[in-house]
Amino acid sequence: MDEKKRGNFGFLKWLGNDLKDIGQTFARGDWKTRLSFLIMGFGQLCRGQIVRGLSLLALQGGLLYFIFGFGWQYLTKILTLGTVETHREGRVTVYGHNSFFILLYGILVIVAVLALIYLWRLNLRQNRDAEHLLSIGKRLPSNKEDLGSLLDKNFDKTLLALPVLGIFIFTVLPIIFMICIAFTNYDVTHQPPSKLFTWVGLQNFKELFGIGGTGNFGGTFFYVLGWTLLWAFFATFLTYFLGMAVAILINKKGIKLKKLWRTILVLTIAVPQFVSLLYVGKMFAVDGLVNAFLMRWGWISTPINFWANATSARVLIILINLWIGIPYTMLIVTGLLMNIPAELYESARIDGANAFQSFRKITLPYMLFVTGPFLLTQFIGNLNNFNVIFLLNQGNPKSLELTNNAGATDLLVTWLYKMTINDSNYKIAAVIGIMVFIVTAVISLIVYNVLPSVKDEEGFQ
Amino acid sequence: MKKYLALLLALCMVFALAACGQAAAPAQEAAPAQEAAPAEEPAATGALKIWVAEAVVDFTKEQVASFMADHPEYAGYTVSVEPVGEGDAASNMLMDVEAGADIFGFPQDQLARLVAADALIPLSDENAAIVADENDAGSVAAATMAGTVYAYPLTSDNGYFLYYDKSVISDPSTLEGIIADCEAAGKSFYYDLRSGWYMPAFFFGAGCTLTYDTDDSGAFTKCNIDYASDAGLGALKALIALHKSPAFVNGSSVSNATNAAAIIDGTWDADAAKELFGENYACAKLPTVEINGTATQLGGFGGFKLLGVKPQTDETKLALCDDLALFLSSGDVQLARYNVVFWGPSNIAAKADPAVQADEALAALGAQLAFTVPQGQYPGEYWSLSEALGDDIIAGKYDTADDAALMEALQNFQDTCISYAG
Repeated sequence: MDEKKRGNFGFLKWLGNDLKDIGQTFARGDWKTRLSFLIMGFGQLCRGQIVRGLSLLALQGGLLYFIFGFGWQYLTKILTLGTVETHREGRVTVYGHNSFFILLYGILVIVAVLALIYLWRLNLRQNRDAEHLLSIGKRLPSNKEDLGSLLDKNFDKTLLALPVLGIFIFTVLPIIFMICIAFTNYDVTHQPPSKLFTWVGLQNFKELFGIGGTGNFGGTFFYVLGWTLLWAFFATFLTYFLGMAVAILINKKGIKLKKLWRTILVLTIAVPQFVSLLYVGKMFAVDGLVNAFLMRWGWISTPINFWANATSARVLIILINLWIGIPYTMLIVTGLLMNIPAELYESARIDGANAFQSFRKITLPYMLFVTGPFLLTQFIGNLNNFNVIFLLNQGNPKSLELTNNAGATDLLVTWLYKMTINDSNYKIAAVIGIMVFIVTAVISLIVYNVLPSVKDEEGFQ
Repeated sequence: MKKYLALLLALCMVFALAACGQAAAPAQEAAPAQEAAPAEEPAATGALKIWVAEAVVDFTKEQVASFMADHPEYAGYTVSVEPVGEGDAASNMLMDVEAGADIFGFPQDQLARLVAADALIPLSDENAAIVADENDAGSVAAATMAGTVYAYPLTSDNGYFLYYDKSVISDPSTLEGIIADCEAAGKSFYYDLRSGWYMPAFFFGAGCTLTYDTDDSGAFTKCNIDYASDAGLGALKALIALHKSPAFVNGSSVSNATNAAAIIDGTWDADAAKELFGENYACAKLPTVEINGTATQLGGFGGFKLLGVKPQTDETKLALCDDLALFLSSGDVQLARYNVVFWGPSNIAAKADPAVQADEALAALGAQLAFTVPQGQYPGEYWSLSEALGDDIIAGKYDTADDAALMEALQNFQDTCISYAG
């Protein structure tokens, strides 16, 4: 609480100082600096810093053109997301406003305005600094030096320009857009370009949590969330410990044909996952290979429908995931096992420790220390493990007890996928996306802070 | 230092500008189009895109070429034909109407979604009259919503019936007989009961109804359902009894079936079924099943493939789309299409052709169609709800349930169906 207050206060203080600085720059500046308040880069141009001046001027022109020439029509409608519906004149169709583009370009224009404000501030600061340098009799950096520094002192910025641009366009912008969708009614009955959608505030969140919504939405959400966490837990830790067991087993002295065993296990990695998963899913079908063999051997008289029952489907999915996941853990652990100093085991043996004790006191702590962050990423990855669930049984079986297409083995992500692809329910899908983020963020932060490798970095050095 | 960050941002914005500049063009064009008067008549030009199922792409290309040869007034237009499966076509249209095809084939259960998203333009009065005149009543009803015809019927063969192995099944007229034969031979009977399309065979057969009323914008206004009744209870019990049989396997695809002696499936799998059963291949209408003590004929849906036209902003192009869609769904083209890919026609004249009459699978479907209802419009949620009911049956949740519990499940199903309307 206190910290938050200080945070707010800090921001206000910073803003106050900044405004004061702007005022002082204007009051104390010469006419070149003052004109730069209107025409960005003017002062720099007058003082011979052509490259800086021109690029600021071009940016100002470009951004202003973008904001007023192109973006204005979207920005003015962003509060309503459009008012003119698509309609027909005779049999000819006239398209109205497109809420989708209004939202997308509206966001882009807002970003452009922020960028313009930032550049304007930068422009003022450059003017102030230049005046200061000249007043104490120093020389301003020449154009050549400015350009040259891009390959020398500021080379990092040159290199990062493209990645940052890519991240903005392909990651940041879509995320902002998706978060905004969660507060609209963009769904199957409000699809652009023929229909408009608009802001609805927190209504989608209320619906998802079952407050005043239709059907059993809240119950279904927590059911799916529960299974998502359960699945991530089992998929991560069973794979981890069994993989470690297999690695230790193969690593043991006296085991022959070590390479052969490892190769056999690693073969599952060689086959593309989606092929093997689709195939294994089919193997366990009512008319699949597994049932056929069980019946031929006389163990069962009628086929077992593994995928029909929620519990058996869940257990089966976790087991099949073991088959896929163990080889990966085994490979990682095999490398680490060879890294543990043999003296540790030797002295443990001399002290009379048995095999289990030396595993518990030496191997396991070492493993947990080194693979802690790996376990965390595995866990987060499993929370969003779309492939295994969707390829094996599409999140089925469904039930009348669940709503909105959810099934007993659906994770939040596969449910989200079904909502967007089958039901065009973008608004709720966006809310679920935010929920997935919150769940993963909370777990990551908590677990990361208690990891031994983070708390005690020197532990095993 | 900061100045280079400025340069970086410059780059950033230049790219953003370039990206938006292009995308903005169509959006800006859209507005002035409101004022555009159809002033210039001479030789309009443009491009027209058609989506049809992969199997008929070449066929459609030929037909389009012959149409364009007969209509020099549209010479300025280029027509491209792209393979897009019917189910995908509807989804793709919904995702982005403006980028979608001008004419596209789709199954009629997608009609309501497409109308709701304004991806279909109603037929002109003349074309609607021709369509209603020349096609069978079921297919016209399937293309109609709230009294408006929205699409051109292409086929009348989206229904299901029984494929079976003559050497195993002695009498395909009762379900009990089929199951007994399958169990005796250690073979399987395939039926997809976790499907809103196949499952109504039992309920409709027992006399239940499940339809939705829609308004002219494609929104569902009312659900007419009586599953929570004695008839519905009987149908549910029959489904549960079927699931308990060791011979029952859930499924409706011949190519995925192993060890099948009988399968309820549609005409699209006729070739695969012929291959599977070899010389024992046979087809029949659906069997009867014992419901509440009487032998009841299984019912189901009659289904149809339709051809739709996207709303157009240009009058000449709209006229071309209308004419071309009418041509592609005409009796002659339907018959020619049957001869190439064996799609059963909806056109009355084409249906009477001897080649069509002699088709075994189509004959079985024709016999079954007498017991089916033309498939109307259902909300998307209905299909997943049916899968949920089917999954509950297969999972054995009702195996030991008494009548009251079953009735409660049906009431739940019925209430949920009703909640989708209005």
